[in-house]
Amino acid sequence: MAEVLTAEGLRARAGDSLIVHRAEFGVREGETLYIVGPNGAGKSTLLKALVGYPGIEVDGRVTFMGEDLTGVPMDERARKGLILSHQFIPRIEGVTVRELIEMVARVSGSGTSAEEVADMLEIRHLLGREFGKGFSGGEMKRVEIAVTLAARPKLALIDEPDSGVDVESALIIAEGIREIIRRSPARSVVIVTHTGFISKYVPPTRVCIMRSGVLGPCSGPELLDRVLREGFRIEVA
Amino acid sequence: MRLLDVLTPMQLERVKAALAKPALYGPDIDVRDYLLAEGPAAEVEVDEERIREVGIDLERAKRTGYFMQIDSESVRYMSRLPGVEVMSIEEALEREPEVSRLIWKLVDPAADKYTAVAALRGRGGYFVRVKKGVKMEEPVQTCLFMVKGGLQAPHNIIYVEEGAHARVLTGCTIMPESFGLHAGITEVYLERGARLDYVMIHAWSRGTHVRPRTGVLAGEGAEVVTYYINLSTVRTLQTYPRYILRDGARLHSVSLILGRGSSIIDVGAKAALGGRRAAAEILSRVVARDSSKVVARARVEGAFGRGHVECKGLVLSDVARVEAVPELGAVGRGVTLTHEASIGKLSEEAIAYLMSKGFSREEAESILVRGFMNVELVDLGPQLTAYVRNLMNLLARAAI
Repeated sequence: MAEVLTAEGLRARAGDSLIVHRAEFGVREGETLYIVGPNGAGKSTLLKALVGYPGIEVDGRVTFMGEDLTGVPMDERARKGLILSHQFIPRIEGVTVRELIEMVARVSGSGTSAEEVADMLEIRHLLGREFGKGFSGGEMKRVEIAVTLAARPKLALIDEPDSGVDVESALIIAEGIREIIRRSPARSVVIVTHTGFISKYVPPTRVCIMRSGVLGPCSGPELLDRVLREGFRIEVA
Repeated sequence: MRLLDVLTPMQLERVKAALAKPALYGPDIDVRDYLLAEGPAAEVEVDEERIREVGIDLERAKRTGYFMQIDSESVRYMSRLPGVEVMSIEEALEREPEVSRLIWKLVDPAADKYTAVAALRGRGGYFVRVKKGVKMEEPVQTCLFMVKGGLQAPHNIIYVEEGAHARVLTGCTIMPESFGLHAGITEVYLERGARLDYVMIHAWSRGTHVRPRTGVLAGEGAEVVTYYINLSTVRTLQTYPRYILRDGARLHSVSLILGRGSSIIDVGAKAALGGRRAAAEILSRVVARDSSKVVARARVEGAFGRGHVECKGLVLSDVARVEAVPELGAVGRGVTLTHEASIGKLSEEAIAYLMSKGFSREEAESILVRGFMNVELVDLGPQLTAYVRNLMNLLARAAI
C-alpha cells in the first residue's frame, strides 16, 4: 500500500519547549490511524507540526503524497489536501457558519454546498449563526467536521473529535468522519483522541500510542482495546 | 438669491469672526487660501470611471434622479421620480425664496472656520424634497466631484415631508492629483413620520482636507438611517453630524472607516434625544492601517428615550492609531443610555485557523476584516443594500 503521509525524525518545539521528541510514522492508503495518549502527550502539537502550523518549529521531514513538505507553508499544504480538523475553533466575528463553509468550499474547489454538509452534521440551525460564538461542545465539533468536509481533504488530521461530546453528537461526528474518508482519494484518515470514544463508531485499522512527546509503539486495533482496558502506561512488546 | 445673501448682517459679522475659530475636533488647517476668489470653472469632462468608484450609477440615475456638482458648479440634475424634486440649491432659492428659511438653521454658520468659509464662499449643493407620503424605492444619487481642487463648499438641503420615505446616495470624490478643501454643509429636515435612508461614501485623495458639517432634525416619529463609509486616503477629515430627535424619532447611524496612508480622521455623530420614546443608536467600525490616525466619536444625550453607542476599532499596523470616544449624557430618570467600545488587532488564532483550511494569509486577514465590518444592515431597499454590501467588501480588500 502506498504511503500517503510519512514523518521522519520529526521533532516539534513550541517556544522554548520541546513538545514532540520523536515521531516516525507513515499513513498508508486505506488506513484509519488512531494516535492515542494522555493529555499533554504532544498529540495536538504533532498534528500541528505535520500541517506546518505557525509558531511550531519542526525538525525532520514530512512527505505528503510523495512530495517533501519541508518549508511549505500551512495554507499551501492545505491546498494540497492536507487538512487539520481542530480540537477547538476560534470565534470569527461577523462571519456566519454558512459563509465560512461556502468560502472553504470555494478555496478548496470542492463544490460542497453548505446545506449538504449541514444536513449531514445536523447543524442547519447554526448556518446563520456567527462562527464559533456560543456553540456547545458538540456543536463546535460538528461544525468543524462540516468545515473539514467542505475542504475535501486528501488526508484529514482530526484532533479530538470526541472530547466533550455526548453520544448523539458522537454518532453524527462519526458519520461525518466516515464521509471524509469516503471522499478522500486514499480513503485514509488520522484521528487523535485521548478517550477513544469515537473508535466505537469509526474503527481503527492501526493504533499508535503517544506518551511524553514520543510516538509509538504502533500496532493493530487490539492495542486500543488494551489501552482502554489498562490505561496508557501499558507495556507493549 | 445667492447663498451668501441668506445670511443676515448680524450672522455675517459672526461668520467673519469665526474665520479664525478652529473646530472643536480634528487638526486645524489654514483656510485663508480658500477665501480667495476662484478662477473660472474648469473645462472638464465628467470622469465617469471615478464617479463609478464611489458607487454612483449614472445610467441608472438618469432614469431616476440625480444631482452632480463639479467643483463649485451644479452641472446636472433631474428627477424622474414622482413626488421627488431634485435641483441645485440656487435654483431652489430662486423658485421658492422660503427655502432660505431652511438654510443655516441646523448648522451654525459661525460654528468654526470651515462653516464660515462655506458661508462666505460656498456655491452649489442640492435641494432634494420628497413630497408628503411618497415612498422612494430607488435612491436619488448625488455626486460631489472635485476636479481642479481648491474649495468645494456646497450647501445641501434634504426635506422629507410627512410620512414620506426618502432614499439618498451621496458619493464625494476628487481627481487623485488635486488638492483642496471640501466643506459641504448638509441640513436635513424630516417631518412627522418621515424616513430617510442616507448612504454616503467618501473617496478623497491624499491632498484633500475634508470638513463636512451636517445637522438633522427628525420630527415626531421620524426615522433616520445613515451609513457613512470612508474608503480612501485623505489628508485630514473631520466631521461630527448632529441629530435632534423629537418624540418617538429614531436614529440608526453607522460609520465604516478605513484609515490608510497617513490619513488623519476624526469622525463622529451626536444625537440629542429631545422627546419621549426617542431612540438613537450610533455604531462605528474603524480599521486603521499604515500610519493613519483615526478617532471615532459618538455621543447620545438627553432626558428621554434610549441611546446606544458602539465604537469598535481594529489596528492593523504598529504605528496606526485608533481612539474610541463614546460619550453618554443623561438628564433625569427618563433616559437609558449604554455604550460599548473596543479596540483590538486581528486574532492570530483565527488567521491560523483559516490558513489551515487553505486560505492565504491575505485572504484570511481580509475575511476577518470583512467580518469585523459586518454590521447588520437595516432595510435599505435592494439597491442601497447591495451598494453598502459591496462597499464593505471593497473596504475589507483595501484594508489588507
